[in-house]
Amino acid sequence: MTRLLARDLTVSLGGSPVVGPLSLRLEPGEVVGLLGPNGAGKSTLLRALAGLAPHGGSATLDGTPLAQMSDAARALRIAYLPQARTVGWAVAVERLVELGRIPWRRFGSALSETDRAIVAEAMRLMDVGPLARRLATEISGGEQARALAARVIAQDTPVLLADEPAAGLDPAHQIAMMAAFRSLAAKGRSVIVSLHDLTLAARWCDRLVMLDAGKVAAEGAPAEVVTPALLGQVFGVEAVVSTVGGALAVAPIGLSGGPR
Amino acid sequence: MRPAAAAKGFRLAAVLSVAAAFHAPALAAGPARVMSLNVCTDQLAMLLAKPGQLISVSALADDPHLSFHKNLAGDLPRNRGLAEEVIAATPDLVVTGQFSLHNTTQVLRRLGYRVEEFTYVQSVISVPAEIRRMGALLGAGAKAAQLASGMETALAGVAPPQCARPVRALAYEQNGIALGTGTLMDSAMQAAGLVNIAAEQGFAGMTPFPLELLVKDAPDIVVLPDIMADAPSLADQIASHPALRALPASTLKIRVPAGSLACGGPFVVEAVKALAAARAGTLPCKGSAVQ
Amino acid sequence: MSRAALILLLGAAALLFFVLSLLTGPAGYGPAESLRALFSGGDGAAAIILREIRLPRALLGLAIGLALGAGGAALQGFLRNPLAEPGLIGVSASASLGAVAVFYSGLAGASIYVLPAGALFGAACSVIVLLAIAARSGSTLTLILAGVALSSLAGALTSLALNLSPNPFASYEIIFWLLGSLKDRSMTHVWIALPLIAAGLLLMFMSLRALDALTLGEEAAASLGVDLRLTRLLVVAGVALSVGAATAVAGAIGFVGLVVPHLVRPLTDRMPGSVFLPSALGGSALLLAADVASRIVIPSREINVGVLTALIGAPFFLWLVMRTRREAL
Repeated sequence: MTRLLARDLTVSLGGSPVVGPLSLRLEPGEVVGLLGPNGAGKSTLLRALAGLAPHGGSATLDGTPLAQMSDAARALRIAYLPQARTVGWAVAVERLVELGRIPWRRFGSALSETDRAIVAEAMRLMDVGPLARRLATEISGGEQARALAARVIAQDTPVLLADEPAAGLDPAHQIAMMAAFRSLAAKGRSVIVSLHDLTLAARWCDRLVMLDAGKVAAEGAPAEVVTPALLGQVFGVEAVVSTVGGALAVAPIGLSGGPR
Repeated sequence: MRPAAAAKGFRLAAVLSVAAAFHAPALAAGPARVMSLNVCTDQLAMLLAKPGQLISVSALADDPHLSFHKNLAGDLPRNRGLAEEVIAATPDLVVTGQFSLHNTTQVLRRLGYRVEEFTYVQSVISVPAEIRRMGALLGAGAKAAQLASGMETALAGVAPPQCARPVRALAYEQNGIALGTGTLMDSAMQAAGLVNIAAEQGFAGMTPFPLELLVKDAPDIVVLPDIMADAPSLADQIASHPALRALPASTLKIRVPAGSLACGGPFVVEAVKALAAARAGTLPCKGSAVQ
Repeated sequence: MSRAALILLLGAAALLFFVLSLLTGPAGYGPAESLRALFSGGDGAAAIILREIRLPRALLGLAIGLALGAGGAALQGFLRNPLAEPGLIGVSASASLGAVAVFYSGLAGASIYVLPAGALFGAACSVIVLLAIAARSGSTLTLILAGVALSSLAGALTSLALNLSPNPFASYEIIFWLLGSLKDRSMTHVWIALPLIAAGLLLMFMSLRALDALTLGEEAAASLGVDLRLTRLLVVAGVALSVGAATAVAGAIGFVGLVVPHLVRPLTDRMPGSVFLPSALGGSALLLAADVASRIVIPSREINVGVLTALIGAPFFLWLVMRTRREAL
């Protein structure tokens, strides 16, 4: 039972097609890594799947077309973490994470016990529990990124779309974030996360999708996608791919001069 | 003097004498061409000038709130009080107000025009003198004397009867301005036998008077302003304030005839009569013998 | 401070100044006498003064303060900008222009019931323009400059419209329209303004959840199920209704929507939804206090209440600008 299915999906920006046509699937319980050079269309694809940009072709969630879903219904099923980390007001981290419960709360009602439990769990998962009372504008960039990720987890949706959530985090917290996504997947949720760190993607994702100029250049298990040949073709880099501790480790070492 | 020059001088003197002889009757009858630059001098001039003597009146002569005799203005050209207009019209006499267009007055006098200034009259009693003065200037002395003494008689006739107690009044203009001592309204109230509350409380001239004090002082008569029906302003709204409507029914709200107190003229008597009539209609005075 | 405590405190302050406003005036009645006259009814001078002069004034101070405080909080929440407020960004001035254009042209036959229509239209136009500008450029500088331009334009056109009126008093009324006053307002003004202000407050209230979500930015808010277009409509309509109605009866009163949310925000959790009600109540308290002051600062004269709010608010605004000068404008 495929959770998210996109067929011949196209997304246009300002009249010209930027993404697609491409086909994509997302199963329950898996973490899919979205790779590609800058400008490949990763963010645009995620925004379209989140319902923030109109798309051509079809995209369905558990059989229901995304385009026909109301904003409120979609918010209960897909959570989206934007690349731009915006915090408009100097609110406490706890409040920030609580915003993830908005789709579940009736207007004007207070937080329920369930809400609080989910928020607490999300903060624990992203290790921002100790920061609960701190103002979100006064913590480090990495801490802020984790707090915003906690918000998206607190939304408690079957599908989670994250646009470069690990950017700017130190290695420990990068790994912790991916581990958090894995634990979500273990409970049956699905995650699509776009990454620039190839090693991180290769070691923590079930499947990888590599985009090149808006189209799928490769899709499959990490070992099939993260190959020196593909990296040279899509990224234009010469890379060393080896196996360390049972999983891949990727090290770009220079420019390849290949087609880009 | 050389013979040619002397002859020229003699001829000039002869011409001038003949000219003077022709003009002499006109001078005795007043200046042939009179121009009025001020709405108040307009009123007196329109009342006293002979047909064709008044050649122009001010543009404000058409404003019913300022010009009591606007119907007398007829087709006379209107002026805006500018020196150029005076020069173009070549009057023998210019009458204007003292405090308006002062620079124009100086310019005209420097150019050799005869300009007579009238002060803005603030007292009912001094109006007859102003009428007589205008009459003298225009060569209409007899007519002026008639108007002036008629006015004096009328004023004397408004002898306020005795009432049970002094009748108190307040004139409440736009924006909540009351008319205190030294205003024409105050003088008219006195002539009508009314106590001006604003004067009683020591307010002089046009002065802001809080609406609350008006209600608290409970005047017997409130004199409201004329408002422009077709050109609204917030200032005019005060006349319809609910607090004024809520005053006891025994409080009379009246208006004096439009323009009757805007300038000093015989028409001021109309305002005094209106005030006296209102006074007679108030509770303390009802039943007394009335003029 | 807990949320309930803050609201109680500000509500009490508003109530206190409401009562003070009822007791202030040139008629010089004592407090007991004034309150007795208010409730006794009847025809006496004191009853008329309290009922027809002081009560409408206090009610309008309360309602307009709510409108301005809430309007400031809503605009700041929507624009994610603590410097936005109806007076500063030209909404009040535009409302004045709308009111003046309709009233002095005699379009509506000199009835004061028409003033709000023009004011609402002027306010709505300005909010729409400002939101459009803010949408294209997120910078504070752009927003403030646009507000200054809009205020200046509206002020100049207002003055022009007043000068064109044949009524000799019209051109002097620019002071009222640009610097607001509650002097000699009547219950008629209250009946005009109150329903519209209440409707505007309700619309703004309905947008609060969306404003909270906007803390995360527009994309994240949309992904949380917020209808951004509807939210924009609620904010525009809410601000236009309440600030428009307030300006229609009292002229442009500025800075209340700037000062109060700013003072109140540190006492809350800073979410736009939490700032809203305290700002409204604080706005009432501030405006009523300023209105009391406007009657007692100079013994025999009244100052326009807008002058006092500007005297407090403008230096405050300068200080705010200096303080945030380090952050990118």
